[in-house]
Amino acid sequence: MNVVFAVKQYVSKMIEDSGPGMKVLLMDKETTSIVSMVYTQSEILQKEVYLFERLDSLNRETMKHLKAICFLRPTKENVEYLIQELRRPKYSIYYIYFSNVISKSDVKSLAEADEQEVVAEVQEFYGDYIAVNPHVFSLNLLGCCQGRSWDLAQLSRTAQGLTALLLSLKKCPMIRYQLSSEPAKRLAECVKQVITKEYELFDFRRTEVPPLLLILDRSDDAITPLLNQWTYQAMVHELLGINNNRIDLSRVPGISKDLREVVLSAENDEFYANNMYLNFAEIGSNIKNLMEDFQRRKPKEQQKLESIADMKAFVENYPQFKKMSGTVSKHVTVVGELSRLASERNLLEVSEVEQELACQNDHSSAHQNVRRLLQNPKVTEFDATRLVMLYALHYERHSSNSLPGLMMDLKNKGVSEKYRKLVSAVVEYGGKRVRGSDLFSPKDAVAITKQFLKGLKGVENVYTQHQPFLHETLDQLIKGKLKDGQYPYLGPSTLRDRPQDIIVFIIGGATYEEALTVYNLNRTTPGVRIVLGGTTIHNTKSFLEEISASGFRGRGAESAHVTARASSRR
Amino acid sequence: MASNYPPPFDDPVEVREGFLCPLCLKDLQSFYQLQSHYEEEHSSEDRDVKGQLRNLVQKAKKAKKKLLKREGDDRTDTGAQERYESFSYGGVDPYMWEPQELGAMRSHLSDFKKHRAARIDHYVVEVNKLIIRLEKLTSFDRTNTESAKIRAIEKSVVPWVNDQDVPFCPDCGNNLPLASKLTSASKEALTSHTSPGSSPNSIHGSRRGSISSVSSVSSVLDEKDDDRIRCCRHCKDTLLKREQQIDESEYTPDIVKLYEKLRLCMEKVDQKAPEYIKMAESLNAGETTYNLEHANDLRVEVQKVYELIDALSKKILTLGLNEEPQPHPKTLQLQRMIRYSATLFVQEKLLGLMSLPTKDKYEELKEKRKQEIDRKLHMERQATLETQRRQEEKQKDLVSRSTAAPNGEVPYPKRVSVKKSEGWLPTSSLPRQREIADPLLQQIDNITSFIKQAKAANRLDEVRMLQENLRQLQDEYDQQQTLKAIELSKRQAEEEEMQREQLQVLREKEWEREQHKAVSQHSRTRSLDFREVKQHQHESGKENLNQIAQSLDLDTTQIKSSPSSKTPSPDAVQKQVTKENSVFPIKPREAPQYIRETDQNQTMLLNPFEDEADTSPVEDDPANTLAGDSSQVDSLPAKARHSDKKEYNPFEDDEEDQQTNGATVGAPNPFEDNGNSFQKSVNDQNSGNQSEGLSSTNPFEVDDNEISGEDVIEEELLLQQIDNIKAYIFDAKHSGRMDEVEVLTENLKELKRTLAKQKEKSKC
Repeated sequence: MNVVFAVKQYVSKMIEDSGPGMKVLLMDKETTSIVSMVYTQSEILQKEVYLFERLDSLNRETMKHLKAICFLRPTKENVEYLIQELRRPKYSIYYIYFSNVISKSDVKSLAEADEQEVVAEVQEFYGDYIAVNPHVFSLNLLGCCQGRSWDLAQLSRTAQGLTALLLSLKKCPMIRYQLSSEPAKRLAECVKQVITKEYELFDFRRTEVPPLLLILDRSDDAITPLLNQWTYQAMVHELLGINNNRIDLSRVPGISKDLREVVLSAENDEFYANNMYLNFAEIGSNIKNLMEDFQRRKPKEQQKLESIADMKAFVENYPQFKKMSGTVSKHVTVVGELSRLASERNLLEVSEVEQELACQNDHSSAHQNVRRLLQNPKVTEFDATRLVMLYALHYERHSSNSLPGLMMDLKNKGVSEKYRKLVSAVVEYGGKRVRGSDLFSPKDAVAITKQFLKGLKGVENVYTQHQPFLHETLDQLIKGKLKDGQYPYLGPSTLRDRPQDIIVFIIGGATYEEALTVYNLNRTTPGVRIVLGGTTIHNTKSFLEEISASGFRGRGAESAHVTARASSRR
Repeated sequence: MASNYPPPFDDPVEVREGFLCPLCLKDLQSFYQLQSHYEEEHSSEDRDVKGQLRNLVQKAKKAKKKLLKREGDDRTDTGAQERYESFSYGGVDPYMWEPQELGAMRSHLSDFKKHRAARIDHYVVEVNKLIIRLEKLTSFDRTNTESAKIRAIEKSVVPWVNDQDVPFCPDCGNNLPLASKLTSASKEALTSHTSPGSSPNSIHGSRRGSISSVSSVSSVLDEKDDDRIRCCRHCKDTLLKREQQIDESEYTPDIVKLYEKLRLCMEKVDQKAPEYIKMAESLNAGETTYNLEHANDLRVEVQKVYELIDALSKKILTLGLNEEPQPHPKTLQLQRMIRYSATLFVQEKLLGLMSLPTKDKYEELKEKRKQEIDRKLHMERQATLETQRRQEEKQKDLVSRSTAAPNGEVPYPKRVSVKKSEGWLPTSSLPRQREIADPLLQQIDNITSFIKQAKAANRLDEVRMLQENLRQLQDEYDQQQTLKAIELSKRQAEEEEMQREQLQVLREKEWEREQHKAVSQHSRTRSLDFREVKQHQHESGKENLNQIAQSLDLDTTQIKSSPSSKTPSPDAVQKQVTKENSVFPIKPREAPQYIRETDQNQTMLLNPFEDEADTSPVEDDPANTLAGDSSQVDSLPAKARHSDKKEYNPFEDDEEDQQTNGATVGAPNPFEDNGNSFQKSVNDQNSGNQSEGLSSTNPFEVDDNEISGEDVIEEELLLQQIDNIKAYIFDAKHSGRMDEVEVLTENLKELKRTLAKQKEKSKC
């Protein structure tokens, strides 16, 4: 069920199959991302792959002493490029791997182009998704829907990505979907269709309990992607943005040239692997330890390498030191920037109110706190907007809803029209009318008691009290209590036992907070393995872009005003 | 380790149980003895065995972990294992998920080849035809022939075609009306009459009659206009392509030649360096296994290869740099990348080359080691003496105690010793001997000793071969054990079922046959553990002789059929496992961390696929200034140890490692897990028996109370059995033996049912 490992295995197999000798890896834009998520350059260099080229690059030279490993999505353009390539081959032998199902006719046209018999292999290797963490994958698609229905190109890409994931993990699942979401149903059907059509491919060894694919829609929980985060991975994504494991630090004041862009990959960075799910305070102390350790190893400047023993000590420590210095400077920079942003944007205070908006039901206190923060000049327009969004989502139908007043406050604060419009767009996207389930008030007695106790005792950490809605959904799924009415099975058969291998996919994007939730569920639930996927991995910024791209543009401040007042009168 | 077992009795002497060799289970009385024993007997030759043991432990743990996760609430257990489990909350970190097999794939190669073959036949025929024709056209002496005659000859080889026969433009396929033969190809066709490149009856109708250009294919033919051969564009292209192909296949660029040399050198390093490191380690420890001079030679040799790698990769880097025009940027990039990977290679491997002691130092080391050994020997002797003394004291103590003890307890000390050797604390080599009864194990033993000998004789090749051999044998043995264990568990289950039924019957009849109670009791017990019988033997005396004979008889048959009598080998192994367990506590994150660490070692360049493979940081590295800087190189012993470790996990082997990992996890070996619970069961039996032995010294005094105790044991056994079966199911599932899973599941259900029955019964 490890998705990183699944893709990595495919890539290793390709390289292995091509035997010894100098190699070039020919990829397209997407497969470049896919491969770069699981292999570092130096890792792949050790396997004699020295060049990485885009198939569509015009700048490639003929090098007949290289073998070409082609890892490509089976798109029309790629097939066309490949036909051109084979007519005038630039390399000696071609090993061709498509990341998904390719049509017979495409294979035929490729074969007919291969007059010089340079092709040694044609295979389908289903590494057609971005493996983010062992239990998290993404398709890097932004704006997958138009309104409440799929953009058809995105639907087909998503279905391809999801079926490739199933194939790479060798799972032929039963499918459940969120009934309230039309896109979820469509996607479920598409996946089922592929499974039916390619039944030979999906003919895996049966397990006692069949795996389960659960398809959800982001609009059911618009709260989670709007919250500030305090665990390392999620926080970095929220504040700096993670794009295929890379973080752009170029806007950090006084950044040195080689730190403009850094890679955070749990596969290659031990510190990151150990800290990605810890909260900010813990990371702070770990960074301190790392620094101290580093200082101890740092060769002192006045240290003279006179005796052999000195030199020995130096050389012994040097590679370790170099490696460490890379890690240290990277994480110190990243954490430093996070903490700078947190204080500059007054994020502790903002986040506290966000959490209150997300987790508690005290309207007057929430309202008061939001108003107070809107007056605070340190709070950015972005954070101000998200506070109002959270308020709008939670107290949408509250009797004393005072959204209009808050919208005025936003306007007075000088928040741009663009952002203000987004408030109503978010409500339109994930408001009560749309949601299939109740985000805010817990249904069962246990949860109510829990919340009651929480209120009594206070929360352990006010900044991380929020649990994504996904947690409850998965918890019920694991316990076999998820209602068939809300999450029906596709097809007649249902699961009698508790599920063991679960793949949950969120249309409209997952978040790193949810990745953490799934990580913890995996660690705490015996016998259950869960993989989380999304059309993308969101932070607040990209989530708002998604909403805009999907055509929810909001009704502008004035109309929002009116509707809000209308609802408040009710 | 002691915490895994209930302390059998409160005898202070038995504290010494702790000093068992984790490999051969020899009781070594003291820490020093154990240490020296371990160093001498198992220092390196048993690495495979040790690795295997560790694997066993890991597998067992994993399987167990899984099990507990799934059925965690079924039963609560105590012991270190459990405590360890609680840290992980029962679930599994996704980083720790067992590596799965390679995902699905589908090949289109045969389809592709089919289509290609059809097209290629076409192409090859065409090319061959053209070549033959060309041959004919160039076979005569052109320079001394009149041009008219040449034309005639040409025409005789390839009849020229009239324009009327070419109604279509060969390139665009348009119909050409006669009046407007002014377009492209047809116009040229007019001016140059016809084509020698094709014949009227050519299969390629579409190419007929086109003369698109007049040029030469081969350099012989391009001086005068008359010397040229006319050829259509299509044919020319085909011929030129062919020519290019031939050229390419014959030409090897410099970079390839250098690169091949470079790879050869790298292979050599991979081959020689481990050998050297082994030598250097041994020498630095003051051992006399290897010859210092020999090691020095090897060192020089390896170093030379490193220098060669450095030089070769540098040469590749600078290929064509001084030429005009400069090579294509991609060529330069390729060269840079090769150089970069070579420096990474050197960096990683060179740092592992530990230095050798100087001659004087070596003498010193040797002396030191000798002293060390002497010291240890001395300590050992002392420890033995000490033990003896204490044992004597103890004996006296016991004797005095036993004389004071009530009648039935007299044989007590003796019984203890019986248990000790047979059950789970062998002092003698008895379990070893039993193990060897298995021919495979015998072979393994032999090979191990061969390896030892070969090593002593410094015949590394042989050692390698033998080790390979050993591994295979061990795999085979593992497999055998798995099968056995599965079979045994089935039988055990059946047997237990039978026993239960028997007991049931017996119990019913009990009331009627009071006087036979003891007898029935016996038949029940002895099927569980014949040691118990021995006890009874001691205790019950001669009246029971018949019974005993009978039971002994049973024992021998059981040796073949029942797992409890097969005990010695799994039991012994298990003990090793548990010992290992405590000697090398397993840290769950350790392995992946390590991999990550090594990875990072090589990840100085952080951005994957960034184009700028700057070699300069690497070259700055002082450790990398290879050329003749041996003083630096000389001074790396500690580092070497580090990379020695790495050797078993070098980067290129990453893949393999993962695979072996996978194999390990997936390997069908429920055996050790079986051993585990089995061991426990034996223990429990022991302790059960013992308490029995203590509470009632005379088997004939058995009362109802005892029977209910019996019942409890039964239930415990059942639980253990259930656990075992679960482990088998897990394992079978893992390695895809679905049919087995079915059988086992059936078995499990059966067991659970009986357990429920049992419970009900015990309630009422």
